[in-house]
Formats: sequence, structure tokens, C-alpha cells
Amino acid sequence: MYSRQIFKDYRFWCLAAAVIALALLFIHPSEQRKNPVYDLTFVIDITRSMNVEDYQANDQAVSRLEFVKQSLRELLLKLPCESKVGLGVFTERRSTVLFKPVEVCSGFAEIDAAIAALDWRMAWAADSRIAKGLLNTLEMRRDCGSRLVFMTDGQEAPPVNPRYRSDFSGVKDSLKGLLVGVGGMEPAPIPKYNSRGEREGFYKADDVPHRSTFGLSNLNPEEIEGYNARNAPFGSEAAAGNEHLSYLHEAYLQQLSAESGLHYHRLTGSQPLVEALQAADMAEQRQVETDVRWRAALAALVLLVAVFV
Amino acid sequence: MNDIAFETPWALAGLLLMVLPLLKTGAAPSAYSWLAIVPADGLSVLLALFLRITGMSVVAALSLGLSGVYLKEQKVERIGRGAHIVLLLDRSRSMDDTFAGRAPDGSNESKSATARRLLTEFVEKRKHDRIGVTAFSTSPLFVMPLTENKQAVQAAIAATSSPALAYTNISKGLSLAASFFEQQPLTGSRILLLISDGAAAIDPDSEQALRQLIKQQQIRLYWVFLRTENSPGIFDVPEDSRNDNSDAMPERYLHLFFKSLNVPYQAYEAENPDAVQKAIADIDTLENRPLHYFERIAKQDLSGLCYRWAVILLLLLLALKSCEVRR
Repeated sequence: MYSRQIFKDYRFWCLAAAVIALALLFIHPSEQRKNPVYDLTFVIDITRSMNVEDYQANDQAVSRLEFVKQSLRELLLKLPCESKVGLGVFTERRSTVLFKPVEVCSGFAEIDAAIAALDWRMAWAADSRIAKGLLNTLEMRRDCGSRLVFMTDGQEAPPVNPRYRSDFSGVKDSLKGLLVGVGGMEPAPIPKYNSRGEREGFYKADDVPHRSTFGLSNLNPEEIEGYNARNAPFGSEAAAGNEHLSYLHEAYLQQLSAESGLHYHRLTGSQPLVEALQAADMAEQRQVETDVRWRAALAALVLLVAVFV
Repeated sequence: MNDIAFETPWALAGLLLMVLPLLKTGAAPSAYSWLAIVPADGLSVLLALFLRITGMSVVAALSLGLSGVYLKEQKVERIGRGAHIVLLLDRSRSMDDTFAGRAPDGSNESKSATARRLLTEFVEKRKHDRIGVTAFSTSPLFVMPLTENKQAVQAAIAATSSPALAYTNISKGLSLAASFFEQQPLTGSRILLLISDGAAAIDPDSEQALRQLIKQQQIRLYWVFLRTENSPGIFDVPEDSRNDNSDAMPERYLHLFFKSLNVPYQAYEAENPDAVQKAIADIDTLENRPLHYFERIAKQDLSGLCYRWAVILLLLLLALKSCEVRR
């Protein structure tokens, strides 16, 4: 029989194996795999100090807020599908949530537009009490299940009186999160805007409070020049300081993050931020259907190539 | 062809392997004494050509499959009934009180909770609408652009459960909400739905700008006023004419301002959750004009199709191979 000879040809067997590989492809097209999925709520500091232009992007000085926005918009592209992103803003001594977490792949355009629209003019009140705002945010978001990413430059305005520091012991470790420090380490002037939103130079030393005058001073009364318990509990000297210049208060933020049980990261771009999110264990491992057809298809292709070589 | 894209484009390099069937036949060579005496046979030439083409096609189908070829998300224009709606939500502190002006105590829900619950239902019902969300307190908040993504809109409405903010600065909120319609196609109706429990005087500067913006954008205004017990209503006329000014009666003056715009405008004064529901149901029935909208058709995976063709052609090759005769 001539035709039996065909079984001695390896090409026949290669073709048969390729058919079997493709059959397997249709029988077993996907696998359950564990993939990292994020559920994040970003709370962005929109106080005036975030207008300081001490970041560089495309060889141009950009403000901290602008850089935060750029980094977040890039970050959106890097998050795996099924991740969710919510957005909130912080000013005064509290934060508010603009929208609860939305799935990033189907809601990309909407989240992106909302991030692009963030503006310091959204602030409903002045002041920048970061520790209080962080505490308020942690208390508010304790039970929501979404992880917190709080982005700020750490500039308290007015400065905190060490006597009245916020107490984080009640919320410590209640929420997994990342405290992101934004800004440069060199003191830089804060741009000033008028009521129509036009730029008008910078804040000067006389424009900003250099100490908090609430309650009692943290110093001993003997040490205070011109102390009078009723009329001048903070002394008669005018407070002088550099509060009109702003820099990233990294040590302070690290202290806050330690007290509240958050991880700390300094913002330098979207890629380091993704790595920080991974390092801070912010992802949840979820079973995701993964396409594995490529394995069988590749095997079939190799077998087919063997036929023609 | 612009609609075709690939998950892993580098896998297209596999297409280069298509030259292999051109170089080799895929059959074992048989010894023959002198090729020149083999007679020319048209059928054989055709068959050889067919084998090569089939081989090439299988390689191509597998490579395309491996590259994860897919049809991009498509938008199909359709005509339905609906509107472009921008929600303007009051986030002032009083919204967290009940209609009686007290802190919610379990039996009565707060005004913001009522608004949230009813808006969630409303959004669910409005299938073809594009909805945007803005909020305002002392300053306007851009929350969500005009979108068909209902989940995103719901997420924005749900977020109003976080505590309310500060005061009521309505003019900035109105201009932000009206600006949403800029650069949007003029189809269906354009609705600005204001939900607030108070108003504030509009300063003359922004009044002029607002007047222009709302007219230009052909906006239809709806104001659902959540009236707290014993507070002045929008239709109240003060007994003492000395009190008839925008600082003493901001609600009445905002109502007069809206009326003076000469755009379709409807005000609802709701003193309890049922009245709010009625107002929203009313808007739901009124605003059903023909609307051009784009339906999104999710991206379609084509690699499965490629693999199916690959297996069919491969079976054909295998069948032809088993017909091969060797000596």
C-alpha cells in the first residue's frame, strides 16, 4: 500500500498535532488568574500653595496642582481594567468627594475630564489645615472600602501650634492609603490671584499669618516677649516667618503618615507613583479571566512552520 | 480599515513566516529520473498553488489571532428620545437638614438624601440622555462632564452623601453648568436642572454674563426648590415692600431672574420628598424630544474568527496531506 507510507512522514504528524493544538484552544480558551485590581480615591489638595510653580514638565515650569493632574491622567492609563478611581478635593480643614470610584476602562474619558477640571478656584474656603483635613478624610472614608491617596504639599496655613496637634490614634491603620508629598524642597513664592482669577504677583510676607493665634502658645509664658495672659497670650512681637514661601514639608508629612498609618511617597511622576501604589500594597488580588489562547495558537504555528521547513 | 487594531501588534511579525509555503511545498521530495520528461499538467500546477495558498493562509490566520486583532469600539448614530441634562446640585450646609430644618433623625431624611435618592431613580430611567453633574457651594465644583456613562453619573450623585460644604453661591454654579453645553451638538433639548434649598443674590456683573450664556446655549431651565418649613418661598411676595429686594428674598429674585431670561423655565417648590418626586417625574415626561445620540458598540474580538479559519484550513491541509502518495 502506497498510502500507508504517509504515516512515516513527520509532516503529517506535525499537521495532526497542530489540529489538536487548535482543538485545545477552543476547549480551553481562558484561565482564572489573580490580577492586581485597584480601588482608589484620590483626594487632592487645592489650596493656594499648590499653585507654586516648582515642577518641570516639557521644559516649562508647572504648578504643583498641574503636575498632580498630569501625573494622575497618565496614571489612569496604567491602571488595569476593573480598577476604580474616585476623586475628591481638600481645602480648609476637610475634604469632599466629587464622585465615588468609577471603573477606569469604561469611564476613562469622564475621570480624565474631571481630573483636568480640578482647579484651585473650587476651594470653598481658604486656610490649609492639612493634619485636620487628613484626619477628617480618614474618619469620613473609614468604611468605604476604597483606598485613599491623599496628595498635598504639607504646607499648613496658618502654621500649626504644636500644642493643638491633631490626634490620629483613633483612625490609625483604619484605612490603607498613601500620603503623597507634592512640591519642591526649595522655598518658592506662592502666586497670587485677584477676584477675577487674574495673576497678580506673589504673596508677600505681610499677606500671610506666620503663626496660629488660637488658644494658648506652646511656649512658656516667661519665654514670650511682652506676654499678657488676656491681651497678648502670644506676646507683643509681630510674628515673622517664611510662610509666604512654600516648599514640600516632607518631614512633617512623613510624621503624619507614621501617625495615621499611611505610606508616604514623594511625587516625581506617574511611573514612580504606580510603583509606590504597588509597594504600598494598595492593590487587591482579584480573579480575572485571562485569555490563554495564544499558547495553543503559538504551538500550532510552530508545528505548521515545521511542515514547511 | 481604521477600525481594526491589535492587542499585541509585534506578534504580526509572524506574518513574515508566510514566505515559507512559497519556498517549500511541505511534501517530501520524491526521486525521479529526469524531470524534463514529466509532462506539464495544469491540474498539478493548480493543486500545488492551492496547497501553498492554504499554507500561507493558515500562517496568516494564526499570526493575526496571536496579535489579538479586534474591531475598535464603534459609535452608531441613532435617534431616540431624550435630552442633554446638566444637574446643578446645591452642596450648602443646609442641604444636610430635613425639610423641617432640623438635623435628620432617622424618621425624616435630609434634603440632600431625598435629592440623591430621586435623582438616582431619574438617571436610571433616562436611557438615552447624556448627563453631566456640577455642584456648588461657596464655589462651583466641576464633577462629571456630559456623558452617556450612567455608572459614572450615579457615582457622582452618590458622592453627595459626604457632608455638605459651606454657603450658597448660585451664580458661579449656574455659569459653570451652562458652560457644559458649549461645544456640544445642538440636538434634543438642553436642560439645566437646578436642585437647591436656597438662593443667593446674583451680582450685576455675572447677571449679564449669565443672561447671555443661557440664551446663547438655548438652555431650558428647571429649578426644583427644596423649601424648608417657614422659609421664604419662590412665589412669595413680601408684605412690606421694604423687604422686596434680592438680599432679603434671594429665592424670589432668582425666580424673577429666570423668568426674565425668556427661555423655557419651570420652577417647582417642593416642601416634602413626594413633591420632589412629582417634580422630577414631570421633567421626565416633559423632556422627551427627538435626540441624535451615539450608541457605543463595544470592541469586538476578531482573533476567535481567525482561529476558526485557521482550524478549518488546517483540517483541509491535513486531509490533502493524507491523500499524498509516496513511493
